[in-house]
Amino acid sequence: MATVAHRLELDLDVFAGPFDLLLSLVLREELDLLEVELAEIVLAYVDHLEAEGELDLEAATEFLVLIAALLELKSRLMLPGEELPDDLDALAPAEAAEELLERLLQYARFRGAGGWMAAAHAAGQAYLHRSAPLPPGLRRVSVEVAERAYDPDVLGAAVGSLLRTPPPLDLRHIAAPRVSVAERLALLRSLLARGRFSFDEAVEGADRVTEAVTLFALLELYKRGEAAWEQAEPFGPITVHA
Amino acid sequence: MTALAAQVEALLFLAPEPVTVEELADALQTGEEAVRDALEDLAGALEGRGVVLREVAGGWALASHPDAEEAARRLLARPRTSALTAAQAETLAIVGYLQPVSRPEVARIRGVASESATAALVERGLIEESGRSQFGAVLYRTTPLFLKLFGLRSLDDLPDPAQWDPSPEDESALRDRLLRAGEQRAG
Repeated sequence: MATVAHRLELDLDVFAGPFDLLLSLVLREELDLLEVELAEIVLAYVDHLEAEGELDLEAATEFLVLIAALLELKSRLMLPGEELPDDLDALAPAEAAEELLERLLQYARFRGAGGWMAAAHAAGQAYLHRSAPLPPGLRRVSVEVAERAYDPDVLGAAVGSLLRTPPPLDLRHIAAPRVSVAERLALLRSLLARGRFSFDEAVEGADRVTEAVTLFALLELYKRGEAAWEQAEPFGPITVHA
Repeated sequence: MTALAAQVEALLFLAPEPVTVEELADALQTGEEAVRDALEDLAGALEGRGVVLREVAGGWALASHPDAEEAARRLLARPRTSALTAAQAETLAIVGYLQPVSRPEVARIRGVASESATAALVERGLIEESGRSQFGAVLYRTTPLFLKLFGLRSLDDLPDPAQWDPSPEDESALRDRLLRAGEQRAG
């Protein structure tokens, strides 16, 4: 049972969806649906990825979607019905199997039709049609005989209002930031270069916003591992060091 | 080739899209029956030529012969569009046969969300939106371009999908295995 996927030698790239994979699995000989080891499929896929050497993100994502949908399908089949009394999926096993069968059969039809579509698309490309537009003189409706749908004045007014430059917006109520994190970072770094310093020193004579931004810059330094600090008691002096 | 067939040839040469028999009859100021005869005449006259007459998307159109495809693509610098992916082909099949159909319905049949396949098909111009379902989901249908590119006269030209249903043996094998799995679980 554990060797199912190995025995199958799946070419996982070719499967378009969970039903596609499931159908192929179940249609192969001697394989019960619940015996399909999804973990084995995942392992087979990881091996396959390693053999490829390169991670195709799109293909990998599609596989994730596929295997997730398959997992959901299988878990629905495996869950005892009585644990899900209110769930529509809580069908008797036979009913669940019958429903799944119906969906697989319906899917099989469109998988086949999809194959036909892909082939017809390729075959259709053998023919090239004229793609140039008709010369203006031969178009069914030339500009001269076109009927007008709008009064020219209406169109003129519509275009006119677009051409007018709107008055500049008044931005005076928005305060320009006077201090930047980059600025305070530079300051803290220069202080650090001298060794230890106290936070009060760094924000001496500064306003509240600057203090806040400086603290933010300090957190940034801490995040990057450039600085650490000590504070013996709440509201006590903060000593910053490298 | 009759004079009428020659005129039909001229009109189809100029037309950028397939032209219906009715439109041809209108332009040539003659009956539809005469146009049909002329089309047959024209098709015969084009045997062995570089241009072929095709009935696609409900009308008639001239196209280059498949033998000229390679050279034509070089001349026009128009490479083949990439092949449909399996997901796109399945989605297109579902829209083609069940239209108008919503994306949730496509997802239900395929068992996997089909957003990107649907978007790609819209981008390729093969399907388009056609209103909304009673639940508000966007419905899709195939476009005239789909018929033209796939060499189909109309949707009736799509092959009978029942041919892809699993054989009765496969179906009973499927049922057996699924039921056996169900019984094991119940037991």
